[in-house]
Amino acid sequence: MLDKHADYIAVYGSKKDDYEYTLSEYLRMSGIYWGLTVMDLMGQLHRMNRNEIVEFIKSCQHESGGISASIGHDPHLLYTLSAVQILCLYDCMDALDVDRVVEYVKGLQQEDGSFAGDKWGEIDTRFSFCAVATLALLGKMDAINVDKAIEFVLSCMNFDGGFGCRPGSESHAGQIYCCTGFLSLTGQLHQVNADLLGWWLCERQLPSGGLNGRPEKLPDVCYSWWVLASLKIIGKIHWIDKGKLRAFILACQDEETGGFADRPGDMVDPFHTLFGVAGLSLLGDEQVKAVNPVLCMPEDVLQRRGLQPDVLS
Amino acid sequence: MHNSFTKLHGRVKVKTTAQQEEEKKKEREKKLKIYVAARDACFAKRKEGIKDEEALELTQQLLSSNPDFATLWNQRREILMHLETIKDEDEMQKIYESELHFLESCLKVNPKSYGSWFHRGWVSARLPRPNWVRELSLCDRCLSLDDRNFHCWDYRRMVVKMSGVPVEKELEFTDRLIGSNFSNYSSWHYRSTLLPLLHPESPDPKSSGDPPSSQAHSHRVCEEQLLKEYELVQNAFFTDPNDQSAWFYYRWLLGRADREEMISCVYVSRDEERVVVGFSRPVNVNVFILFVEVILECLAVVLLFSIVLLGTIQWSTNVNVLVFRSELSVEKTSVLQSELQSCNQLQELEPLNKWCLLTIILLMRALDPLRYEKETLAHFETLKEVDPMRSAYYSDLCSKFMIENTILKMEYAEVRVFSISDKNLTTLCHLDQLVLVTHINLSSNQLHRLPLQFAMLQCLEVLEADSNLIENLEGLYHLPNLEEVLLRNNNLQPLASCPKLKHLDLRGNPVTLSDGIEAEIKALLPSVTKLLL
Ligand SMILES: [Zn+2]
Repeated sequence: MLDKHADYIAVYGSKKDDYEYTLSEYLRMSGIYWGLTVMDLMGQLHRMNRNEIVEFIKSCQHESGGISASIGHDPHLLYTLSAVQILCLYDCMDALDVDRVVEYVKGLQQEDGSFAGDKWGEIDTRFSFCAVATLALLGKMDAINVDKAIEFVLSCMNFDGGFGCRPGSESHAGQIYCCTGFLSLTGQLHQVNADLLGWWLCERQLPSGGLNGRPEKLPDVCYSWWVLASLKIIGKIHWIDKGKLRAFILACQDEETGGFADRPGDMVDPFHTLFGVAGLSLLGDEQVKAVNPVLCMPEDVLQRRGLQPDVLS
Repeated sequence: MHNSFTKLHGRVKVKTTAQQEEEKKKEREKKLKIYVAARDACFAKRKEGIKDEEALELTQQLLSSNPDFATLWNQRREILMHLETIKDEDEMQKIYESELHFLESCLKVNPKSYGSWFHRGWVSARLPRPNWVRELSLCDRCLSLDDRNFHCWDYRRMVVKMSGVPVEKELEFTDRLIGSNFSNYSSWHYRSTLLPLLHPESPDPKSSGDPPSSQAHSHRVCEEQLLKEYELVQNAFFTDPNDQSAWFYYRWLLGRADREEMISCVYVSRDEERVVVGFSRPVNVNVFILFVEVILECLAVVLLFSIVLLGTIQWSTNVNVLVFRSELSVEKTSVLQSELQSCNQLQELEPLNKWCLLTIILLMRALDPLRYEKETLAHFETLKEVDPMRSAYYSDLCSKFMIENTILKMEYAEVRVFSISDKNLTTLCHLDQLVLVTHINLSSNQLHRLPLQFAMLQCLEVLEADSNLIENLEGLYHLPNLEEVLLRNNNLQPLASCPKLKHLDLRGNPVTLSDGIEAEIKALLPSVTKLLL
């Protein structure tokens, strides 16, 4: 099956005139990151067009230092992180003006320590994660006020031990992934109430074996990754039934076309293909490379950069 | 990273014939042309710096079907800001109102678009004469369609803040929502943020003068209001005992503030020139204190030099009682007792309800952990049977409680021997309470590892851990007094930890001088083919 998944990703990137492909241009940089990361996890990175992608990234860096999803689009932290992740996979960070990337990230930090996604000022703990993940990969964490950034993320902690987008926002697995990842990268995991949060997270597992992102929601491969990675980060991955989750993820594969969908029987896409394969890796599947739970990148890539984010044991 | 991928979710795969496929392809090609033309027209306008109403029109076309195209919202904002400089207030009011109208239609089609909600907040804040009542009623309508839409909840919180809606009003709003549907995690969550604002816990005389905690989740609620909340939650879980929302909320209500930061133990040894200080929570080591070794993640700091301040602090077993009760309420025993009665009633009706069983265990622990030990253990067994997917969670929680009970039972004189064998322990915790222990017996449990926090047992001389599942010895480093280790019948497999190890160079280490070292290492690591000593 792995070959089929790799074929699916390789072909997806080549259908540039496709309507659906064009519609998703606004997130292209992240799309490339998903595709390349899952290819690397499967040992198939060489099948992608490295030169074309690196040139594309160069052309997406703006005057401000930030990187956009595609040419003609505006820069944003989401795509700045994706671009930096891609260049880590390819080990060619010098394709970017790194100092200006750092300036861009730094410039988005607010008085209260939070980060805006871009100059228009939307605030979200996702952007706090993007900021520190970008800087950690560049080895420039000291460029921002880390203490203030931590204070803001902790102010988003809720009664259930989880985290939301902003102070007062409801806990959500994607947000929890960002915040535990953030606290890992900033060396603050002891601030998490691992027993309480771990309970909430392991309660995301449903009878199908899949995990949902919030109480009373449907299971989904991408939420399975966010919950699983968060559990790994706080040292409680053994609190879910790994065998059942593995079976759920495998049931989301499309055996004809390759790729993974959000749920069994739905259409596949590169986003869920990455999180399906990454989930299998965290569950200990030895056919794919080991994935890092904090940055969702192959461990060997991070080792090359000398980066080993904390996880609780 | 994830932005908004609602489009990628829930698309059911349907089988199509070749002919249908061909027709669809043509249709898509047509749509693609129109789309690309519209996109290029928008980009061209922007490149030329044209900020007119036609540009608004063009971006509107695209955004109404693709609201996640963030750059187009940015373009609209640039145009609107430009119009502000050339139009008067009444004209702007009209333009912004039509923008809100457009946004409402976008949200109807795609109520989970980050871009649309952010833009709505941006517009509302710039409107010359904002109408917050209308915005609140928009939220009401949106939440009546999907009461879990967190974008809408967040927007509502922004509107409430901007327009100064009193907290009581919002609490009443959650009353209404919960009243119509108990199973609404979002509403319970909102209550958890409102109650502490409206009914703060009366200040604790002990902690007065301390700066308030920076963490919102530790804010507590006054007792009078708590009693009312208990009633509301009980209504919820008696109505639908399988609805997790109310149970999560109940566990929070019953809880109390975080464990206080304090020194749980101090040990001074003149012979070893060593001072050991155990803290109840992670501490930021002051730079003025000389410290040599900080053991991370283990809530402890080991200081290798004697320091002066320690003379007055003494080990006391009384501390333990407070420490372990702290996870559950400080409320009056009578209140907890009546909560336990209610849960027991429900359990009679629903003997296999896991939420109820877990809550009963927590209440029993808050009331009297030792008296209820037997019942607690029995309930844990039932829990693992009715909810096998989470049996590892229950085992770890049960282990924690068993360790607490064993510590509670320790007499002052026995403080140096800690024995907890044959209790199905799967994890070790509270090691900060065991700094003085010289002899620990963990035999016949289910432990897979001795955690790094084991380094807190600085006085440990004898470790008995026969018949467990221990895989490696990582927790045994940094134990200077250890004399005897019993690890019969475990899972120690150096092979498993480094199965691919082929080349081992140990030259220049004192260990290489000992007799028979080569044979020993080869026995431990048979995969090593090249050994340098
Ligand atoms: Zn998904």
